[in-house]
Amino acid sequence: MSKRKAITKIQSAVIAVVLIAIIVGAYFYYASQLAPVQKPVTLVIAMDTSSIVSLDPAKAYEFESVLIDNNVYNKLVSFKGTDYSTVYPELADSWTVASDGMTWTFNLKHGLTFPSGTPINAAAVVYSFQRIVQLQQPPSWVITKFGITNKTNAVTALDDYTVQIKLNAPYAKGLFLACLAFPVASIVDPTVVKAHETKGDMGGGWLLDHGAGSGAFTIQEWQRGAQIVLNANKNYWKGKPGVDTILIKELKESLDQRMLLERGDVDIAWNLLSDQIQSLKSNNDITITSVPSFSVIYVGMNAGSKPFNDPKVREAVRWAIDYNGIINDILKGSATGLQTIIPKGIAGYDPQAPFTQDIAKAKSLLADAGYPNGFTVDLTTPASISGAPTADIAAKIKSDLAKVGITVNIQLLTYAELLVKYRAQSLQMMIGRWGSDYADPDSNAAAFALCRTTGPTDTAKQLAWRNKYANNATSDLVQKAVKELDDTQRMNDYKQITTTILHDGPFALLFQQVYQRAVRNTVKGFTVSPLTLEDFSTITKQT
Amino acid sequence: MNLATYILRRLALMIVVLFGVLVITFLVSHVIPADPVVAALGSQAPDYLIQKVRHEWGLDLPLQQQFINYMWDVLHGDLGISIRTNRPVAEDLLQYFPATIELSTTAIIMAVLLSIPLGIISAVRRNKLSDHLTRVFSIFGISMPVFWLGLLLLAALYFRLHILPGPGQLSFQVSPPPRVTGFLTIDSLLAGDLGAFFNYLSHLILPAFVLGFASLASITRITRSSMLEVLRQDYIRTARAKGLSSRVVINRHALKNALIPTTTVIGLRYGSLLEGAVLTETIFAWPGVGLYVVGAILFLDFPAIMGSVLAIAVVYSVVNLVVDLVYGFLDPRMRIGD
Repeated sequence: MSKRKAITKIQSAVIAVVLIAIIVGAYFYYASQLAPVQKPVTLVIAMDTSSIVSLDPAKAYEFESVLIDNNVYNKLVSFKGTDYSTVYPELADSWTVASDGMTWTFNLKHGLTFPSGTPINAAAVVYSFQRIVQLQQPPSWVITKFGITNKTNAVTALDDYTVQIKLNAPYAKGLFLACLAFPVASIVDPTVVKAHETKGDMGGGWLLDHGAGSGAFTIQEWQRGAQIVLNANKNYWKGKPGVDTILIKELKESLDQRMLLERGDVDIAWNLLSDQIQSLKSNNDITITSVPSFSVIYVGMNAGSKPFNDPKVREAVRWAIDYNGIINDILKGSATGLQTIIPKGIAGYDPQAPFTQDIAKAKSLLADAGYPNGFTVDLTTPASISGAPTADIAAKIKSDLAKVGITVNIQLLTYAELLVKYRAQSLQMMIGRWGSDYADPDSNAAAFALCRTTGPTDTAKQLAWRNKYANNATSDLVQKAVKELDDTQRMNDYKQITTTILHDGPFALLFQQVYQRAVRNTVKGFTVSPLTLEDFSTITKQT
Repeated sequence: MNLATYILRRLALMIVVLFGVLVITFLVSHVIPADPVVAALGSQAPDYLIQKVRHEWGLDLPLQQQFINYMWDVLHGDLGISIRTNRPVAEDLLQYFPATIELSTTAIIMAVLLSIPLGIISAVRRNKLSDHLTRVFSIFGISMPVFWLGLLLLAALYFRLHILPGPGQLSFQVSPPPRVTGFLTIDSLLAGDLGAFFNYLSHLILPAFVLGFASLASITRITRSSMLEVLRQDYIRTARAKGLSSRVVINRHALKNALIPTTTVIGLRYGSLLEGAVLTETIFAWPGVGLYVVGAILFLDFPAIMGSVLAIAVVYSVVNLVVDLVYGFLDPRMRIGD
C-alpha cells in the first residue's frame, strides 16, 4: 500500500471514530438530561387503550373512554368511592320526585363554571341531554329507555338553576339515578361545543379527542397509539387534584406494563394478567389493589331445543362444573364466586351459591332427564373476553362435563363472530360476559330474566332471548321491579328473580371478575372501581 | 423503451394490480361471518340502534352497490371514515405510516449494513469457523419468533441492565415535537429539539434491531450463496490468475454481480417491513400501521381494512419498481433504455 493511501485510510478511520464518538457522546449527554420529573407531578398509567373509539361522553362506551370521561366531566349525580349502593349529589344540589313518580326536578348548585367561564346551569344540562338523544350513539339507550328521546321535550329548564325531567313512566328511583350517574349523562360546556360544531354534528367531531367538561381534569391531547394526556383542572370546584398531569400510555402487552412498573417508569399497570399479579405481590415497591367488578362470566345453554330444553339437564350442568377449580387454578385471584345473576356490590345481590361439583348428582339428573349416557354438545367461546381466559375455562368445563358423560366440542370464534350467532339464537352452548352498564339490579335482571317469547317479536332480545328462554313470571317481576317505588318490595322482586333463574334459567354463572391494578407505593389515594369509574382527583404521588 | 416510458408502463400496471387487490379484499372482508355493527356497538346494543348504524354505514345496501360506492370514493381520493377511529382513513394512515417507515427503514439499514459484510465473509471463508458461526446465526435469526426476541432483549437491556429505554417512542418526560411531517426524527430536528431527537433514536434502536433481525439473517444467507456462486465463475478465476488481490477481486469484480439477488431480497424484505410489523409494534408500543391494520381487522373496520391494504399494495409496488431500477445500476446489461 502506498504511503498516500495509508494516510488516507488513517484519516478516514479517525474521522469515523470521531463521528461515532460525537453521536454516542451526544446520546448519553441528552439521555442524562432526562432526570425524573419533580414538578409538575405526573402520574403515568400503562393501559391498553386501543379500544377507545371516542372521548365524546355521548358516544363513549368502552371501559377506558368512560373512565377518562368520568374524570373530565361532571354529572347531575355521582357515586362516591366504592359505594355503589347510593347516589350522591354532584352538579345537582338536591332533587325531588313528584307523586306521579315521573317528574323529577333537579336543583343545581349555584356559582359553578366550566373552565371557559360558561356557567354550569340548566341550559347546559338541557343541551347535554339534547346531544344524547339527537346523536343517538351507542350509550344513548341508557337515557332514552326512560322516554327521554328526540321526539319528546322531556328535559326542560324551569329557571337558570332548575331542571325538570319528565319520564314516560314512574321508574324506581335508584334505577333512574344510577343511569344519571353513568358518564353518558355528563354535562358538557355548550359554549365550547357549539363553537366547534361542524355540519350539524353537535360538536361530535371535535369532542372525539377533546374535552368540554367541568371535571377534575382536562384533555390536553390524545396521541393515538401512544398516549392520552390529561391536565389537572386547577380551579376544580371540588378541590385541586393531587397530581398535575396524568399520562395514560398505550401499552397492549401486559409484560411491557409489568416491566415498566417494576422499573418505576409507570405508576399504575392496568392490564396485568393474574399470574403477573400473583408474582408482584412479593414486590415491596408495589401494592395490588382490587375490587369485584360488575362483570360476570357465564355459560349459556340454548333452551329452545334438546338437550337444554329440559331444566334437569341445565341443572345437571350446573352441578357438574368445578367452580373452585376455575376460580383458583385458572383465574388465580382475578375472580370471585358468583352463581346468581346480580353481582356483589349492586343492590339486590343474592349470595346463594348452592352449586359445587357433584358428579353423582349431575349424573342422576341426566338419567332422570333421559340422558343416562350423556350427549354431545358444541361449546362456543372466544379465546378470551375482557381478560378472562375463556378458552382455558372452556377446556376445564369440557373436562368437568366429560365426567358426567357429556362430550363437549369446543368451537373457538372471535367475539365478533360469536355475537352474530348468539344474537341469531343459533349457539347450542356458549361462554359469554355481561357487564352491568349502570349500578342497578335492573341492568342484569333485564338481561338474564326478561323474555316473553323466544320469537322475533320479543322486545328485549337480551341474554334470556338469545338462549331461547322465555319466562313470563320472571319477565313480570323484572318489569314490575323497574317501576317499584318501594325499595324493600323491589329487592324482594329481585330475590324472586334471582332464585328462579338460579335453578331454572339457561345459565351457569361461573364467576364475577375481579379488577386488579398494580400500583407503585409512591401513589396514594387510588381506589379501583367495579364500573371502571375511578376518580383520579383523589390520587397523590410522592416524588 | 426509454426509462420514462418504462416507469409509466409500470405505473399503469400498478393500477390494474391495485384494482384486483381491492376487489379481493372487499370480497374477503365482506364474507367473514361477523357483523361489524354488532362488533362496534357491543353485545348489549338494542336492535333499533344496530339497524340505524347499519343504515348509516351503508351496510344494508347490496354488496355490489357498496363496492361501486367505495370505488367511486377512492377515485375521488376518499378512503372513507374508519369505523373504529371515526376519522378519515387517509388521516389515520398519515398518522401511523411515518412511525412504520422510520422503524422499517432503520431496521433494513441495520440489517443491510451487518448482513452484506457477514455474507461476504462467510462466502470467502467458506467452511471456516466464521462461516459456521454466520450460518448458525442466520438459522437462529430466521427461526427466532420476533415477539420472543423482543421481549428477551427488553427484559435484558431495559429491565435488567437499563442501558436502553423501555417500550414507546419517547420517554414520558419528553414532550413530542410539533407534528410537521409525522416523522419524529425530522420533526424534532425541525423544532431544534435535540433532546427529543436523541431520546427517540434511543427508543428506536431495540425495535429496529428486533424487526431487522430476521431480515439480517435472510440477507446474510442470500449474500453468502450468491457470492459463492459468483466466486466460482471463470472471470473470477481469471482475475485471480492475473494476480489481483483478494480484496480487489471481491469488491470490484464479484460484489456487484453477487448483489443482484441480494437486492431482490432486500426489496422484498423492506416491502414486507413497511406493511407494519404488528408483533414488534405491540411489544415496543410503536404506533405503526401494523397495529392499525390488525386493530381494523379485529374490529371489522371495512374502510380501514380496504384503505390500509390499498396503501400497502402501493408501497409494495413502488418498492418493486425501485428494485428493478436498481438492477440497472448494478448490472449494465439490465439497464432500461439502453
